[in-house]
Amino acid sequence: MPRRVTAAVLLAVTGLLAGCGGGAPTAKAAPAGRSVYGGTLTYLEHQPPSCLYLPAAGFYPNGGLLNQLTDKLTWQNPETLAIEPWIATKWEINKDATEYTFHLRDGVTFSDGSPLDAAAVAANFDVYGKGSTELRLPPAEFVNNYERSEVVDARTVRFHFDKPSPGFLQGTSVIGAGLVSKRTIGLPYEEQCQLKNVVGSGPFTVANQIVDKQIDLKVRKDYNWAPPSSKHQGRAYLDEIKIIVTPEDNVRVGALTSGQADFVRYVQAYDEQTVKSAGFTLYAEPTRGVNNGLYLRPSNSILSDVRVRRALQKGTNIKEVVDTLFTPSYPVATSVLSHLAQGYTDLAKELVFDPDQANRLLDEAGWKRGADGVREKGGRKLELGVFVSLPQPLSKQTLELVAQQWARLGVKLEVRPGDAGTLAVDIKNAEKTAISHGMVGRADQDVIKSHFHSENRDVILSEDEKLDRLLEEQSALADAGERNAKVGEIQRYVIDQGYAIPLFEEPQVYGGAPTVHGVSFEAVGRPSFYSVWKS
Amino acid sequence: MRRAGQALLVLWAAFTASYVLLHLLPGDAILIKFQNPELGLSPEQIARIREAYGSDGPAAYLHTLLGFLRGDFGYSIDTGTPVVERLAEALPETAKLAGLGFAVAIGLALVIAFTPWLRELPSLFVAIPVFWIGILLIQLFSFRLNLVPVIGGDEWQQLVLPVLTLAIPVCAPIAQVLARGIEHASAQPFVQVVAAKGASRRWILWRHVARNAVPPALTMAGLTFGELIAGSVVTETVFGRNGVGRLTEQAVSSQDTPVLLAVVVLAATVFVLVNLVVDMLFPLLDPRLRS
Repeated sequence: MPRRVTAAVLLAVTGLLAGCGGGAPTAKAAPAGRSVYGGTLTYLEHQPPSCLYLPAAGFYPNGGLLNQLTDKLTWQNPETLAIEPWIATKWEINKDATEYTFHLRDGVTFSDGSPLDAAAVAANFDVYGKGSTELRLPPAEFVNNYERSEVVDARTVRFHFDKPSPGFLQGTSVIGAGLVSKRTIGLPYEEQCQLKNVVGSGPFTVANQIVDKQIDLKVRKDYNWAPPSSKHQGRAYLDEIKIIVTPEDNVRVGALTSGQADFVRYVQAYDEQTVKSAGFTLYAEPTRGVNNGLYLRPSNSILSDVRVRRALQKGTNIKEVVDTLFTPSYPVATSVLSHLAQGYTDLAKELVFDPDQANRLLDEAGWKRGADGVREKGGRKLELGVFVSLPQPLSKQTLELVAQQWARLGVKLEVRPGDAGTLAVDIKNAEKTAISHGMVGRADQDVIKSHFHSENRDVILSEDEKLDRLLEEQSALADAGERNAKVGEIQRYVIDQGYAIPLFEEPQVYGGAPTVHGVSFEAVGRPSFYSVWKS
Repeated sequence: MRRAGQALLVLWAAFTASYVLLHLLPGDAILIKFQNPELGLSPEQIARIREAYGSDGPAAYLHTLLGFLRGDFGYSIDTGTPVVERLAEALPETAKLAGLGFAVAIGLALVIAFTPWLRELPSLFVAIPVFWIGILLIQLFSFRLNLVPVIGGDEWQQLVLPVLTLAIPVCAPIAQVLARGIEHASAQPFVQVVAAKGASRRWILWRHVARNAVPPALTMAGLTFGELIAGSVVTETVFGRNGVGRLTEQAVSSQDTPVLLAVVVLAATVFVLVNLVVDMLFPLLDPRLRS
């Protein structure tokens, strides 16, 4: 009984503290009353931003920053995934998707005063499409088959492709396609990486930066080119955003619930309840791409046998992983792709946990249990290595649980914490790193190509020409229906080949104070603070 | 003069040892920064970037050493800014934190050592990891009692909890040695003699016991410098403060060799200086060590 009283008092105190933050706390972040201009949003980020060269800046910690600084040609509606106008007011695409013509909005300027015109857009996409050897800029993974740009007039730009490129329209809406000034895009890689050189046309500009600690953004008062479908137009409501790097999970969550911060990214699964029970809003945003999973490398001498790969797939209890470590914000994977991804096919039946079949497959492949319970073949033990993936939530715990499950099959999984140097050297070595743990978010069919193609992220160090061919075919199909069918075929192929053990659909989880209204997210879970106001 | 020579030798050894060790580690900062599959760079392209950053080998060692002698620590590979600039930003922050942390630690140690019923505390303080102390203080004073903010707040508000976090583990060994010294000195026969001559308790404690108990504690205080540095790495990370500790942590994770070398040499320099000061303080306290 006394315990319950204490809990009640604590709850009351927390409630009071939350109330001190400003205004009357409401249960949900539903817009209460009329939006107001002014105020500062304190946003706590888990990690400092990495390199900010846009095509390479998809790393989630960069999202809360870059989404406020840059605009894109098009806007992907996160509800319908339809591509809507933004800086481009309209566009034409020829029948085989090899020519895209964009008509640009008038009067848009970058924060350095230079115009966002056809020449600037062309300069951006020439780099994103082809990269630059001289400036050491790699091309972007969201642009395929790019040939050249053509400035038709100051407000019209045309892009030519040497093969159909149906993914390009969506590609113009992603974070990496953020438009920067002509001066920025002409800088070498190392310079474009630095925040001080990122000059965009977005609703906020950088006012101050303390490297690795804090970034202050200031509203751009003359901003007047939000996506036409946005209810809010003109300048952003907020005056200022303070992005503060706060690596400690419980400091971020505690600062939020005690009223010291307004919005935080990367709320861990075990902190979700704390946020909710304090009356704060939890945002678990889907990333609509390749699921968080284990990706098995056929070029590893043990995993070259498809039976071993299939056995590991069958012997992994995905549901146990999710139930033990995560929350309903992390849906159990039912395919390589998220169920909200473009071209998703339900393969849940293929992914049913079946330890008997797993053991049978390993027996068939000639791996016999040794004295210590680990299987052996020709004097070699069935041992595989994997690195903990730092950007993935609870990666270490996930891998350790999988290692326990695999130990029951007689497979030893060595989970390596991996300092950055060892990781950088060994990640491309299939013998040392037999499996990779990761995901990638993008709301277009091309996301599967980004993940698996031998010339993109190549997570399985693919030697499979058929897989590469299927991925290329998919990226060049102009008809959406045909394209989705092809993506379905690829998902089935990847599962059949045992290249993937999908675990869960990784969300981006944020916590927000009840006084914060109007937060929106792009299609893959990065926040936009343009329409945010505080009550 | 001989001591100065020794000190320089120590610094050179620290520089060379860390130079060699850092180059023995697998991978390098450039690979770490650019191998990210999202960038889609080929190994050849990475090699070209590496060339752009400068050469390797014995020539590079000499080049770096000469640079250090001139006070030029090169450029951070991770951020592209001069190392000197980053140190100039970080050093005052850590100096403030460590200086205040040390002062508070000495204060705490004195209070604990001279208050018999507090003498069990140091064993507790030694046992709790710095990380935990930080989290506990934040939870209690900031999140529960709302006395000091961790996010935002003025400079002093931002210092209170980190300074305490650092002072608690640092004060423990000093307090332990001091308390032991006091017990030991109080049991000496001369104390009874002084007492028999009619000296007050306070006179005995300050004039006789303390003088004998302080020198070992002073050595200990000099040695806790390492603890201060290690503690500030953790403290700065927990509190999200900018400083040498945080800089080191990030340089380690990205294997940013120029930054790490500069930090090692800096730490070695301060360590040497602190020990020099401690050695010079001894003769002042202990007449037997004069001449």
